[in-house]
Amino acid sequence: MGKTADLLPGTLDLLILKAVSLKPLHGYGVLLRIQQISGDAIEVPQGSLYPALYRLEHQGLIAPEWAQSDNNRRAKYYSLTVAGRRRLREETASWNRLASAIGAALRTTADEV
Amino acid sequence: MLARFPSLFRALTSRGTFETGMTEELRFHLERYAEDLVRSGMAPAEARRRASVEFGGLDAVHEECREARGLRIFDAVRRESRDAVRQLRRNPGFTATVVLTLALAIGANTAIFSMVNALLLKSLPYARPDRLGTIYSRVTRGAETTESRRTIDGEQWELMRDNVPSLISALSAIGVSGSNLQAGTDGRFLQTGRVSERYLDVLALQPFIGRNFSEAEDRPNAAKTAILSYALWKTVFGGNPAVLGRAISLKGEPHTIIGVLPERSTTPLNADLYTALQAGRSGEGRGANFLVIARLRDTATWQQADAEINQAWAASRRARSFAQTNPDARTSYHLVPLQRGATETLRPQVLALMMAAGFILLIACANLAALALVRMLRRRSELVTRLALGASRWQIQRQLWTENLTLALVGGASGIGVGFAALRALLLLLPERFLPVADVPLDGRVLGFTLGLSLLTSVLFGTLPAFATRDVDLRSAGRGVIGAGGVRLRQSLIAGEVALTVVLLAASGLLVRTLVHLQTLPGGFNPDGVITAKASLDDARFHDPAAFRKLLAGSLAAMQSIPGVRNAAVGSTVPYERPLIDGVRLSDGPKAGRELSTNAAYVTPGYFDTLQIPVLAGRAFTDADGPDAQPVAIVNRAFARKFFGTENPVGHYLNKTDLIVGVVADTVQSSAARLNAGSAPLTSEEMMYLPAAQIVDAQYLSLVHTWFQPSWIVRTAHPVDGVSGRMQRALESVEPQLPFSGFYSMNDHMAATLATQRIAVALLAAMASLALLLTAVGIFALVANIVAQRTREIGIRMALGSTIRKAMFHVGATGAAASAAGLVLGLALCAVSLRAMRSVLYGVGIYDAPTILAVMLTLSAVALLATAVPVLRVARIDPASTLREQ
Repeated sequence: MGKTADLLPGTLDLLILKAVSLKPLHGYGVLLRIQQISGDAIEVPQGSLYPALYRLEHQGLIAPEWAQSDNNRRAKYYSLTVAGRRRLREETASWNRLASAIGAALRTTADEV
Repeated sequence: MLARFPSLFRALTSRGTFETGMTEELRFHLERYAEDLVRSGMAPAEARRRASVEFGGLDAVHEECREARGLRIFDAVRRESRDAVRQLRRNPGFTATVVLTLALAIGANTAIFSMVNALLLKSLPYARPDRLGTIYSRVTRGAETTESRRTIDGEQWELMRDNVPSLISALSAIGVSGSNLQAGTDGRFLQTGRVSERYLDVLALQPFIGRNFSEAEDRPNAAKTAILSYALWKTVFGGNPAVLGRAISLKGEPHTIIGVLPERSTTPLNADLYTALQAGRSGEGRGANFLVIARLRDTATWQQADAEINQAWAASRRARSFAQTNPDARTSYHLVPLQRGATETLRPQVLALMMAAGFILLIACANLAALALVRMLRRRSELVTRLALGASRWQIQRQLWTENLTLALVGGASGIGVGFAALRALLLLLPERFLPVADVPLDGRVLGFTLGLSLLTSVLFGTLPAFATRDVDLRSAGRGVIGAGGVRLRQSLIAGEVALTVVLLAASGLLVRTLVHLQTLPGGFNPDGVITAKASLDDARFHDPAAFRKLLAGSLAAMQSIPGVRNAAVGSTVPYERPLIDGVRLSDGPKAGRELSTNAAYVTPGYFDTLQIPVLAGRAFTDADGPDAQPVAIVNRAFARKFFGTENPVGHYLNKTDLIVGVVADTVQSSAARLNAGSAPLTSEEMMYLPAAQIVDAQYLSLVHTWFQPSWIVRTAHPVDGVSGRMQRALESVEPQLPFSGFYSMNDHMAATLATQRIAVALLAAMASLALLLTAVGIFALVANIVAQRTREIGIRMALGSTIRKAMFHVGATGAAASAAGLVLGLALCAVSLRAMRSVLYGVGIYDAPTILAVMLTLSAVALLATAVPVLRVARIDPASTLREQ
């Protein structure tokens, strides 16, 4: 396994929203998808995935649906709701602003102060 | 935020589905992960183990998921209440005491609040009740203003009907009257309500079938018509729609049925059958004998209507004569909501009872607070242990409050049962048609009130013990000693209870004294051996004065001949009853020319002899005072004093023609007709007697009999067997179709007049007894508890040479001191609060020494008993064994 980054607080929700925005996924699928799209750089602690999913469902950002999984077992698939899509857009924008601000801050050299 | 409620709601309502779904989802995850691990070359068993380890504690994840859904708080409540119920079951004595106390206190409050609700809060059962009103007058004399509901006369009615466009107005008679209905072969006695046209329009009632009274049918002397209540239509007429247009005989006169009221509809009169009032200016309409109800038109305001009424009545005969006789008074009229107008007279009583019930609740809560405090202090070590095991203070508080709440809710639920039973009993106690409402329901508002009350009690008795846990900490572990503060606190609670009980006892004591005063008023006659029987003469057969005279003479002769009967007489009313009010003019004497209203009665010559009312001057009536002889009258002493001063009224004339021939002693009358403002319910006011044989005005006769059922009075020398049956047969021998409606002793008449006072005494005395009982229980619990806690201390004291007597005194002093303090406080409270009772007390002052003494004695005796019983246990303490126990 390559080098993994710890999750920053609050980023798990954002990653879940992103993962299910591409295609409806069950919980385990969300886990794999996050690993995949982060190039295995982020590992989600399995125990905290489901509380996060339940919280997002409770907030009406993702909607569950029971369906047959690829190997013919019943699984709970999550998809993004309209509110979820809006939230994802806002969070992404704010994340990008924060990331570039922090990036800029860290690039500062002594003579620029 | 709103989006979360559906999700929480789903999770709560289908909790099972939520749980199995969650389990299935997590298992799916673990299996898939294990499969992936196997695919990457791991042994299946190892893969499952690894998947489960990496996932972490399954239960913890479950719990976090529930929390994410907002379910945690509900789970906690459920768990806490389960714990609370378990705790309470473990202490059945405590739980039973609390629940029983609450059931009684909340039950009393629920019953009384039902009355408040039905009388003062519930809207009248008519469409848009806020636009219904009735008329009040405001009379100002100098600084003094009195307001009261008005009855009006025929002239005022015509003026109002024609000159007050802001209102739809209607009239009714003041109350219902009992009458005989004859429909085909079916005869029965029922309550008739006489109402004007548009009465049902004002109430927004449309007949179920048929129509309302027309304007023509409401004119004087029009053909008689009737509208049936739904219940009467169903029972007597079998719900037959063909009943419209049919003739029935009512009060001996034919009436045509023109309508049937809808099911479950009611009117302020609440009668079985309605006839047209046919109000005019003559006869009944000469006096203020009508009651107004009115509906404000949509486009009008109350101010407009008030102005129109005052203008319309400014020049009326009644206004002019009132202004003449009361030059110093100003009168104005205004509309008052019908709801208030109909319940005004009962409002103070009902609110006073509500306050008494509130006292009971406070007393109960004080008891429970003391009990809960003791229990709390006993559980100290349990709480300390829980603190030591890591429970937070918040968790402990939560547990205590859940217990309190559970207790309060169980108590409240039992209180509803007790309240329902108490309310039924109360309604049985009330005379028929005592309340101006058709029923007193236990509706949503009452149940809401009870629930609110239960929550309030849990706060009232839960705060103190919860407060006491603040100083529980780990260092106090094991030290099970109760501080003196606990006792002091409980003593103050007991003192407060005693104080409230003293107020209730004093209040009911004063009412008892009032009732005794009224019941023992000298009647002015001899009630022993007198029996009276009433019959309704409200029938066309007896409107003719000659027929009326024949009936009286014949029936009295027949009754005189019953063996054992000494005298017999007839009077329109007898003492203790509400007499007729008549207008009269003094023709000569010191106040000649004055027009006045007086109590009046028609009587037969034997009336004063039969009741043994002394004739003070002149003579009684004789058979010679007939229709063609000189018209005569007799007045009582109050009348003579009031209008003739020291002069002898005999020889003076009333109404120009009626010669006063005698003065008789005063008798006690009901003041329900309110001749003089502020009279006690029983008074000896001015009274005028007329000979029954000299009533020659048929209209007057029919009017009197619309309102009054005359009494046949019989005095026997000794008890006669079956005298009522013989009286009935004597009446039947003259008039076969005239049944007596009831037989009454003079005591029955007195009881009927004092019904309100008796009910007030019964209710308040019941409340005071309940308060006394609760207080006794409180004192008992305080002392008993101290005895139990100090058994060891007392044992040591006695081992060190103290006597049993000293130990008893030491313990008993706590209860006695609290009671004494409460008694003093209570007397001080009485001095302030009992002033509010002034208007309902007669013949007794607010600061009545016998009452105060009786209250002090009762309370001291009860407090002493409640203290003595547990203190006597001290005598059984064996110093040796208490010391050995440690």
